[in-house]
Amino acid sequence: MSCSFFDTKPESKPDWKAYVLRELGQDAHRQAEAHLATCSICHEEVATLRLTLDTLSTLREEEMPRRIAFVSDKVFEPRWWQRVFSPTFAAGALVAAAILIHGLVGTGRTSQDQVDAAVTKAVSQMEARHVQEIQAMYEQLDVRNKQVANMYHNAVLSR
Amino acid sequence: MIFREVEDPDLIAKARRGDVEAYNLLVSRWEKRVFNYLLRLVSNREDAMDVSQDVFLKAYQSLPKLDDPARFSGWLFRIAHNEAFSLLRRKRPEAELAGEPRPADLNPRLLPIELSLAVETALGRLSPDQREAVLLKVYQGFKFEEMAEILECPVSTVKSRLYTALDLLKATLAPMHKTALRGES
Repeated sequence: MSCSFFDTKPESKPDWKAYVLRELGQDAHRQAEAHLATCSICHEEVATLRLTLDTLSTLREEEMPRRIAFVSDKVFEPRWWQRVFSPTFAAGALVAAAILIHGLVGTGRTSQDQVDAAVTKAVSQMEARHVQEIQAMYEQLDVRNKQVANMYHNAVLSR
Repeated sequence: MIFREVEDPDLIAKARRGDVEAYNLLVSRWEKRVFNYLLRLVSNREDAMDVSQDVFLKAYQSLPKLDDPARFSGWLFRIAHNEAFSLLRRKRPEAELAGEPRPADLNPRLLPIELSLAVETALGRLSPDQREAVLLKVYQGFKFEEMAEILECPVSTVKSRLYTALDLLKATLAPMHKTALRGES
């Protein structure tokens, strides 16, 4: 069933969806309201739209599994002694030591393959230490995330 | 009325100067809205959480490119939209295998939690574009023009998606409407 008033001039029929969504301009909104006051058919159409929006508004807002937070880069900047004992520095020192020992003790006939092997070994050791450090860092972050989530949860419960 | 000592543009200005705590405060104001928007789009809590983190990281990295801090919300949801649809495109084959969502069991006498689930199912029946239009308008309160900026499409497209979605939702949720009306009379 449609409104007989707008059957004769459909171009002037108000945009009811825009009306309930508060997207009509002031003049158009006033005209729409004036028509609604006199037309039961359009009134029902608008009522159904509003009911749909009301039903949609019952959708629960979900809590986040955990909060999002960023940490300043400065926290992760190592101190000078950490730099000295960092895996990268240690691996570099190992490579340098390997080359030096070969230079001092070696027969002078060290092949390129031996140098490459020493470098590969040092790099793999460095990478292994990196992996261990990153894993430890992730574990620490995970623990901190859980602590923050618990604090947040408790704070919500205590409200 | 909620009084805020520090407004979002102030926090954005501080975050741009490298103040991470200011950015964390900004995140705390928006994370739940962004998470819920993403949750309804990608339909998976872990994915929504991961994408939320990516969104705020990208937003932090792109803060210098934000022209007008007063339009932070639209800009943020634009990033969220891009990230969500990037994930949906990657997961499309998996989603197609999963098939159509099951129709909602619309028991006329629904408890609030059941009503909420019915709405969730009805939203799940919409196409991602239609669902997103409903999320941005009904749940996030953006104007048509803002939605057009977020979605990078004309206002007419925004209205078309939203209006089609509302017609579909109206039809799906009609049994509840009738019961509600009978209950009132």
